[in-house]
Amino acid sequence: MTLTDVLEKDLVKVPLQATTKSAIIEELVDILVRSRHKYNRDDILAAVLAREALGSTGLSDGVAVPHAKTSAVDAIEVVMGITPTPIDFDAQDGKGSQFFFLVLAPEKESGAYIEVLVSIARATVSPVMRRLLASARSADEVLRLFID
Amino acid sequence: MIDPFKKMLVYLDGSEDSVSAAMAAIALAKRLDATLTAIYVVNTRALKDLVKARIFLDSEELEYRRDIEGDAKRYLRHVQELGAQKGVEVIPVKTSGTVHTEVRNYLQENHIDLLVLGGISEIHSRRDELLSETDRMMRTAPCPVLVVRDNDAVWEMFETLPNVKPEAAHDTY
Repeated sequence: MTLTDVLEKDLVKVPLQATTKSAIIEELVDILVRSRHKYNRDDILAAVLAREALGSTGLSDGVAVPHAKTSAVDAIEVVMGITPTPIDFDAQDGKGSQFFFLVLAPEKESGAYIEVLVSIARATVSPVMRRLLASARSADEVLRLFID
Repeated sequence: MIDPFKKMLVYLDGSEDSVSAAMAAIALAKRLDATLTAIYVVNTRALKDLVKARIFLDSEELEYRRDIEGDAKRYLRHVQELGAQKGVEVIPVKTSGTVHTEVRNYLQENHIDLLVLGGISEIHSRRDELLSETDRMMRTAPCPVLVVRDNDAVWEMFETLPNVKPEAAHDTY
């Protein structure tokens, strides 16, 4: 399983409105819950924040991958968002983050969860890809970048 | 006529598709009187990549490795039970490393003459093709490869084989 197997247009938002770390996480969770009414917002948010408390998921080069394994979802879910400018996400390189991938997995899908996380890591390692993502203006454009 | 396949290997990855592939492999092994091995590779390469990318903390790597080790045991046991139900011995193999490399090495070292795969997902992009472990296995296998689509025909093929012991629980893995 890769990112493109689970990324859907209504789970991609460009641009994200939030400007702080906690607000970004909440906005990503809200996008998911709006699309999947069966999920409980507070349970998902609690799982993501609990993982975040162990160490920031702000990586380097503007990429952040807040994630959690939680019984609050029944399938692997990915929400992607891009902010117009980098924001402080406690990233490991001390720089701002601009590309956000919220990844959630149910308890029993560790294998597929790992595959999706690896595909995100590999897709975003390219500076060219990150530049193209930064210039994307819509969910369609973002999806095209991952699919082309 | 010489039987075409005598040593078969089915790859399990914890997906429903791979269990369907195992059911097809059991049916085929029964009809060809072939030996059947089921392999589950704990993808430690992916775990290391996630720690290197700093997506995972060390504690997460350990936690997920334990999870996947548990999945491996559970799925291998389930497929062994399915085989036993139809009178086919399934040899379980659990290994770890890079998935397509481990499978290729096992095929070569054990002179396997048919690899059975399920879980071929739709390729959305060239990047998917490069990243897909099943795709890499297909391309690098030194023997013929059978790709099994998860559909009713597989279930029918399996279910029409006579049982030799009480039915294994299908939903316990």
